[in-house]
Amino acid sequence: MSWKRWLFGRRELTLALACVAVAAVFQFLSPYFLTPDNLITILRNSVELLLVSLGITFVLATAGIDIAVGGALGICAIFVGWSVQGGWPFVLVVLIGPLVGTALGLVSAFLIVQGKIPPIIATLGLFGVYRAAIFLLLGGSWISGLPDALGPAVNTTIAGIPLTAIYILFFYFIGWIVIRWVPLGIAIRATGGNERAARLSGVSIGRTKFFVYGFTGLLVGFAAFLYVARYRNVETSTGGLIALDAIVASVLGGTSVLGGKANLLGAMFGVLLVRLLQNGFVLIGVPSLWEQVITGALLIAVLILDALTERSHAQSRPRQRGNAQRGLATQ
Amino acid sequence: MISAFKQIRFGGLLVLWLIALVIFAVFAPDFFTPANFNSVLQFSTLLALVTLGQTLVVLSGGGGIDLSVGGIVSLSGLVIAALMKTGVPAFIAAPAGVLCGGVLGSINGFIITRLRLLPLIVTLGTYYAYNGLALALTGGAPISGLPVSFGLLGQNSILAIPLHTLVLVVPVFLVMQFTLNQTPLGRWIYAVGSNEKAARLVGLPVDMIRVGVYTLSGVLAALAGLMADSWLLSARPNIGDNLELLSLTATLLGGTSIFGGSGGLGGSLAAVLFFTSLQVGLQMLNVNSIWQLGLVGIFLIGSVLLDRMIRTAETK
Repeated sequence: MSWKRWLFGRRELTLALACVAVAAVFQFLSPYFLTPDNLITILRNSVELLLVSLGITFVLATAGIDIAVGGALGICAIFVGWSVQGGWPFVLVVLIGPLVGTALGLVSAFLIVQGKIPPIIATLGLFGVYRAAIFLLLGGSWISGLPDALGPAVNTTIAGIPLTAIYILFFYFIGWIVIRWVPLGIAIRATGGNERAARLSGVSIGRTKFFVYGFTGLLVGFAAFLYVARYRNVETSTGGLIALDAIVASVLGGTSVLGGKANLLGAMFGVLLVRLLQNGFVLIGVPSLWEQVITGALLIAVLILDALTERSHAQSRPRQRGNAQRGLATQ
Repeated sequence: MISAFKQIRFGGLLVLWLIALVIFAVFAPDFFTPANFNSVLQFSTLLALVTLGQTLVVLSGGGGIDLSVGGIVSLSGLVIAALMKTGVPAFIAAPAGVLCGGVLGSINGFIITRLRLLPLIVTLGTYYAYNGLALALTGGAPISGLPVSFGLLGQNSILAIPLHTLVLVVPVFLVMQFTLNQTPLGRWIYAVGSNEKAARLVGLPVDMIRVGVYTLSGVLAALAGLMADSWLLSARPNIGDNLELLSLTATLLGGTSIFGGSGGLGGSLAAVLFFTSLQVGLQMLNVNSIWQLGLVGIFLIGSVLLDRMIRTAETK
């Protein structure tokens, strides 16, 4: 029992083991899987998702959800693309994505806090609006063939460490500080755990939510900057499925959709596992059209597994059963 | 006072509809022809069936929402077409497809009730799984070339009213409306939606009702898939795209509360008619369909905001 709890009680460890197991299976099926080239490809493809998942982890921790991030990423990417085309100063090119992203995040927060609209409805509505806006802004044609002005921002390495890895570590470090060491972090978890109790104990729910959605927007905006720097074009499908991928990664990472919990390291491993799976299935010859099915099924599977383990935990500790039942009744 | 506000809501919908009609009358005079009336109803069938299911799901509370309906429409439509292509007669293929929709819907229901998971996250997962399956199984290509006789329901009209509106949408609506308002089962759905704890305490089978509601939503989505097949004589893997957004918006615009327990089917159907005339009208004005998506998003947010405002006004 104790070794099991030690091994499976820590989400990051379980996930790391899962990553190794998945990698082993794919290596068995396709010798190309564990080559340095492919591993670098997987890590590179994880960059934007890592940023968005960090934001989504915060959002989920407040018992919220944001499915408009894909559309927001597309809009931010368009602005970044325009700024490159317009030859803006580098600082502005870097800042425009996060600025637009933060503004869009604050729009979500405004609807959720001031309009008291459930997050799923607000962000589903915005998702439709953003999709339309992307078509409108692009006018039906892609932004493509951008000059490689932003290349250095993603291709540079410092002492052998890629700059993109430093961005990721920087943002996750900030996230960790916020969630672990700053009163705001407690406010975030308290809001998700029990919003009414948090309000009664003096937490400013509105401010907390504004921060969470705004921060997510900022990360989405920076992800858009990295996207444009890497691919040097913006198409109408930019951002596409990233909302689902990010939710899956966060939930895989041990963040509950019911709020109150945030696991940043877990989210990182969650992203890795999602991208490993997506890459591996393509390598063994599964058409990429299956990606949606696999990711959706993964989400359902994790939710079911989590619910089942939680239930068996509750049953193995009879003294806490009363609490568990009361908890259910109040939901 | 309360009824006055309720009237404002329905009146508001009516006013929106009239405004839309006036705009179309000025800019697209062809809008008011029997042929176009026919095409409005044609379009509305899919959305109407799906919205009726969505309304029950939202009504039954517990954060009820079904984001997977579009995928079920596409998938069951494909199942029916694929079966018919292998030589299965229509009277077997059609029920098989509807059964498939019921199973897909009940998967949602069982996961949500058994494991006490949030409907929005579960159906978000199945949204991608079902939509993805529809795309992946067909490689994105439609299954076409269904026998012309299969178009009987989907392509014929009586007095400019499409046959499927008469034999499917209207009866389904009447039966559901009757069940919801005149039978104990209907009362139960409202009870479960407005106070789950009380419903459990008086011994209502809350979980069974919820599973039933999600299953019904799946069945209705499958009927929509069937109608799409019959209308187009082919099954498209993306025929259900955006139906979750549209049906949810129609449900909420029609006055059903997102928190469950209050609202009804009549408002939803009115909202569907409003939407489809908007859709057809905008098409006649040559407005890109992507605009409609944005407009629907605004309506979705707007209708919840409006609901909020009405509620706070009521309590004052």
